[in-house]
Amino acid sequence: MPLAVAGGRAFDEAAPPNWFPALRELAATIPPDGWGTARRPVFVTSSNFGVGSLYAFRTTGNPAHLAYGTPHACVDWLTHELGWGANVATLSHACVSAHLGLLLATRALQAGLAERALVFSFDFISPFVTGGFNALKILNAGFPAPYSERPTGSIGLGDGAAFAVLTRDHGDFALTAQSLHNEMHHFTANRSDGAGFAACLAPLRSAANGRKLWLKGHGTGTLEAGRLECAALTAAFPDRPIVSWKGSLGHTLGSCGLVELALALESIRSGHAPGTIGGAAPFFPAAISADAFDVSAFDGAVCASNAFGGAHAAFILSHA
Amino acid sequence: MLELHLHALSLADVGLESPAETRERLKERFPRGATRRMTQLGLLVGAALDELAPRPGDAIVYASAFAESRALEGYLDSFPGASPTLFQTSIHPSAVQQTLIGRQHPVGEFFPMTGRAYLVANAIQAAALCTAPRVLLCGGEERGTWLLEHRVASDRTFGFALALGGTRDGALARFSLTETDAAPESFTLPEFLDVLVARRSLSRIAAPGTRLNLEWL
Repeated sequence: MPLAVAGGRAFDEAAPPNWFPALRELAATIPPDGWGTARRPVFVTSSNFGVGSLYAFRTTGNPAHLAYGTPHACVDWLTHELGWGANVATLSHACVSAHLGLLLATRALQAGLAERALVFSFDFISPFVTGGFNALKILNAGFPAPYSERPTGSIGLGDGAAFAVLTRDHGDFALTAQSLHNEMHHFTANRSDGAGFAACLAPLRSAANGRKLWLKGHGTGTLEAGRLECAALTAAFPDRPIVSWKGSLGHTLGSCGLVELALALESIRSGHAPGTIGGAAPFFPAAISADAFDVSAFDGAVCASNAFGGAHAAFILSHA
Repeated sequence: MLELHLHALSLADVGLESPAETRERLKERFPRGATRRMTQLGLLVGAALDELAPRPGDAIVYASAFAESRALEGYLDSFPGASPTLFQTSIHPSAVQQTLIGRQHPVGEFFPMTGRAYLVANAIQAAALCTAPRVLLCGGEERGTWLLEHRVASDRTFGFALALGGTRDGALARFSLTETDAAPESFTLPEFLDVLVARRSLSRIAAPGTRLNLEWL
């Protein structure tokens, strides 16, 4: 099965977790600003935190793994290692986790509770995670081909980590019209009428107010969710190009909203967005962009993610 | 300052009641057959939420440090034949999803939070930042077994739900969050439950930069 593991990282967990060097390298690029102090909150989001360490403990019996196994122990350790203060809020809602951190950080800024906020998201795959996805029969030997109309869907899982620094009133880019919707229909499936996708996109459609937006979908490579997402995006934003990048990145789980925000932002900055890596015609009926395309004529992008439980999250990213 | 008024609450501190006992006690409150796969935490949070009659348009904030400890233990024990049911049930906000999926009750804003020392203040702040007219703040823990032996699971089992809103009329209590420079103290979910059960007032620096006040009206 396709797994996009950070370079040189062993799949089986160590103590401290073997993903930490990659995370520390990323964190070293965060502009220093007294993160975790009273007016500089940190919003940490993940689906799995260090739960791979609990699997390692169960497998090896080595109690050293336990120090990283719960969300709070993992985040407390990270906070200490990365030199942050204790003003850290932690959110976990599967694959929309990063979106929740962005929204709560935005609200804290708007309420005047912070001058700047750091949103930090990570998820590293482990036997715990792959075992679960495999048990749900979501993984197979195929590579993901997002939005492709084919007999069998496939997804790939990937390591992911990213951060965003948010401010209230300055910066080159803006997040607007952040939206959430939770279907509460089924643990792993969406409503077959696509109402959950539509409900999440409706506020963005209103907020777009005629702006020309390209669409970065969730697009894991599963068939039914891909079909529903394409239909909803097309209904809300007719004829706008749709891309998914999980055929290249893998599905980076709780971090995907932030990892893909970073790519979307760089796409807007450079004027070129990657296409739907891995996807190939025939596609679902929608304006799927298989190849890289010019985004310089667009006003911004819709970035959407979905999660277990029929959770949906999306926002508009544009120049400030 | 952020302010929220408490309009209703449901608390369940079940001591050493086993998951089977909780399931038997609460089974009539859920659709027939639904409780078979529900966790003890899912049953308690679900029953607490049910007492507040979730409405369309409510936002939900969920708080738990350890969440589905029993499902997590069972899932880890299921390897190498990993259990799909226990995997999906072990995911953090599953306690809320078990109930609301059973009720087919969609929710707009849903903020599942975790943490420990400052989780209560963080969750109340998240509730205060929701835009919905009513916010259901719910949470709890379930007592673990072999994870508890290693202190990576809760030693108590409880669930709670609070209905919070902006209006003072008819409120039972008032929460406020004010800024402070003083050093924070740990204020965990079990301590919060004890305060609510005893209906004690509270003024505590419950997170860095944040004083949490609770005043019963």
